[in-house]
Amino acid sequence: MERIVTVEQEAGLHARPASAFVEAAGEFESEITVGRANGDGAVDAGSMLAVTGLGIERGDAVRLTAEGPDADDALDQLVALLERPEP
Amino acid sequence: MSKTLSGVGATPLAGVGTVRWYEPTIPEFDRESDDPEAERQRFVDARDWARAAIDEERERVAERVGEEEAAILEAHRQFLDDPQIESAVEAEIDGGATAEAAVEAAFADPIEQYEATGGRVAERADDLRDVRDRLLRTLAGVEDVDLDALPDETILLAERLVPSDAAGLDPDRVAGLATVVGGRTAHAAIVARAIGLPAVVGVGDSLRQVENGATVVVDGEAGVVIVDPDEETRTAARTEREIDVIDEQVATADGRSIEVAANVGRPGELEGAIDSGADGVGLFRTEFLFLDRTAPPDEDEQFETYSEALQAFPGERIVVRTADVGGDKPIDYLDLPAEANPFLGDRGIRRSLGVDADLFETQLRALLRAAGTAREGGDDTGDLAVMFPMVADVSELDAALERVDAVAAALDDAGEPCAIPELGVMVETPAAARMAPELADRVAFLSIGTNDLTQYVMAADRDNDRVTALHDPLHPPVLRTIADAIDGGHERDAWVGMCGEMAGDPALTELLIGLGLDELSASAVTIPQVKATVRETNTEAAEAVAERALAAETLSAVLDVLDGDD
Repeated sequence: MERIVTVEQEAGLHARPASAFVEAAGEFESEITVGRANGDGAVDAGSMLAVTGLGIERGDAVRLTAEGPDADDALDQLVALLERPEP
Repeated sequence: MSKTLSGVGATPLAGVGTVRWYEPTIPEFDRESDDPEAERQRFVDARDWARAAIDEERERVAERVGEEEAAILEAHRQFLDDPQIESAVEAEIDGGATAEAAVEAAFADPIEQYEATGGRVAERADDLRDVRDRLLRTLAGVEDVDLDALPDETILLAERLVPSDAAGLDPDRVAGLATVVGGRTAHAAIVARAIGLPAVVGVGDSLRQVENGATVVVDGEAGVVIVDPDEETRTAARTEREIDVIDEQVATADGRSIEVAANVGRPGELEGAIDSGADGVGLFRTEFLFLDRTAPPDEDEQFETYSEALQAFPGERIVVRTADVGGDKPIDYLDLPAEANPFLGDRGIRRSLGVDADLFETQLRALLRAAGTAREGGDDTGDLAVMFPMVADVSELDAALERVDAVAAALDDAGEPCAIPELGVMVETPAAARMAPELADRVAFLSIGTNDLTQYVMAADRDNDRVTALHDPLHPPVLRTIADAIDGGHERDAWVGMCGEMAGDPALTELLIGLGLDELSASAVTIPQVKATVRETNTEAAEAVAERALAAETLSAVLDVLDGDD
C-alpha cells in the first residue's frame, strides 16, 4: 500500500516535524517507509537518522509505503501530518 | 598588540575575559574486545544513562529557553534510539569491536553523509556528534563537562557548540562565547541569544590560534573577537556588560520621559523583564496560550494568566496583544487551512472578527475581568492595556471596539466585576500606518511592530535569506512610514510606542526618540542599555538626527547619518 504526498510543513522534514513524523510512524505495527516520490532512497520511517538524511523540503513530493495490519490507518495519519503546514 | 578576528555576531552584547578552550575530551579507548556479550551490555547501559541525561536536559532547556529549543533534545533522543544506529553498533560488536569503537563507527557514515548533503541536513551533523560524544563520554565514565564549575569571567572558545552545551552555560559566570564554525541561526547562537550571552560564531580557522589564558573581548554587536585588547577596549566591553539595571523610569537629558518596556512571549519571561528593570510590558504575546494543546484555554485560565502578569508589575502597564493566529503556526483544534501567503492571509484581527469570533470573545471576557480586578487592586497591581494585531481597515477596529463594548455589557449584566482597559492598535501594516490619525481617533495608543511593518513596506519576506538586505527597518521608506504613524497618532492625542526588534537596539535609541516615540518595548536583555542611552540623549539633537535620516534617500545614506558622517 502506498501514497504520494506533497510536504506542506514549513520546515520540511527536519528537526521538529521530523521528530513528530518518526514518533508517529513508530506507533504503528506496520512496516513503514518514506522516500522521494520518484522512488529514490526509501528508508525506514521509524529512523530519525534516515528520515532527516532524506533532506526533504517543503513542496517536495514523497512516497509513503506501509505493509501490515494497520497500514491504511498509518498512511492516513502520516499523510495528514505531512500536509499540515506547521513549522 | 591587539588583533581583531571577524565572525558573525549572535547577540548584541559584549564581554571580556580569559580564554578557556572548551574541549569535551573523550579519553583514548581500546578498540578490540573478545567478549561481545559484555560490550553489548555496556552499550545498552550507556544508552539508558544517556537517555536519562537527555530527558533531564530537555526539561531544563524547556524551562530556561523554550519548547522550540527543547525539541532539539527530543531529536537527540530519537537519534540515540535509532534502529539503524543500533544495528550498526551490534554488527561492529559482533565483529570484535568494543562498545566505544562500535559507537564511533556507527556514527561515522551518517555524519559524513549529512555533511555531504549540505544545507539543513548538514547542520544536523552537529546533533549526531553531540549524541555520539555523549555516548562515548558515558562509556568512558567521564562526567559531562561541568560548565558550572568554570571560573568567573571565562570566555569560552569552541570548535562548535552543541545545543545542550549552550543551554548549560551560566551567563553570570561565562562572559562570552566564540566558535570556529556555525551561523547566526545555529541552535547554539539562538540559545546564547535567549540567555543573554555575548556570542560571536563562525570566526573560522584564525580563532584556533588563540590560546588558553589569553584575554579577549567578544563583541557580539560588531561580530568580532579582539585578542589582547587595549585597556580602552577592555573597559568598554566590561562597562557594557556590567551596565547597571535602572529600575525607575528614565527621561532624556532634557527631561522627556520615555517608557522602556519588555516584550514577553510567555509568563516565564516576566521575571527576566523585572530583573532587567523594564517599565512594564509593551508587548505581551498571547499565542503561547493557544499553542501545543488540544483545546483552547478557557476564560478562567486566561484570566489567571493575565492577572499574574499584572501582579508582576505593580503600578506599571502591561500591553496584551489579542491572539495573532494565522496559517504560519499550527493549532490542531482550529481550522487553519494552508495558505500560499500566511503573512498576507487570514490572521490576527481578521480571524478574531471572523472564524475565531468565539475565541476572541472568550479572550476579551478574560481581559476585561482582569482589567476590573486590576483597577480594584490600585497600585498593588499593574494597569492593563489591550491592542489588536494586523489591523488594516478602520472598520475592523470599529468592529473590534463594538465587541469590547458588547462583552463589557454582558459582564455587567451578569454582575461580574470588569473594566474596559486602555485600548490600542498594533501598527504593522502599511495600511494602518497610513490611517494612523483615524485609528488614533478611536483608541488611546498605537504600537508600531517593525518586524512585520518592514516586510510589508519592503515586500520582502522576513524569513527569506535572499532578500535579507531589503529587510531592514532603516530603509527610508520604512523610516518614513514609521514617522507618519507616530505623527498621525500624536496629531489625535494618542501615545505611540514601538515593539519591534528595532526598539531594542541602543544604536537607534536616539533616532527613535527623535522621531517622537513615547515608549520603546524590546527583549529584556537590551533594556538596561536602552535606558542608559535614553538618559544620554538630548531631544533637540535627536530630532536633528531624525530629520536628516528622514531626508536620506538610501539605506546607506541613513547609516551615514547614524554614524555622524553625513
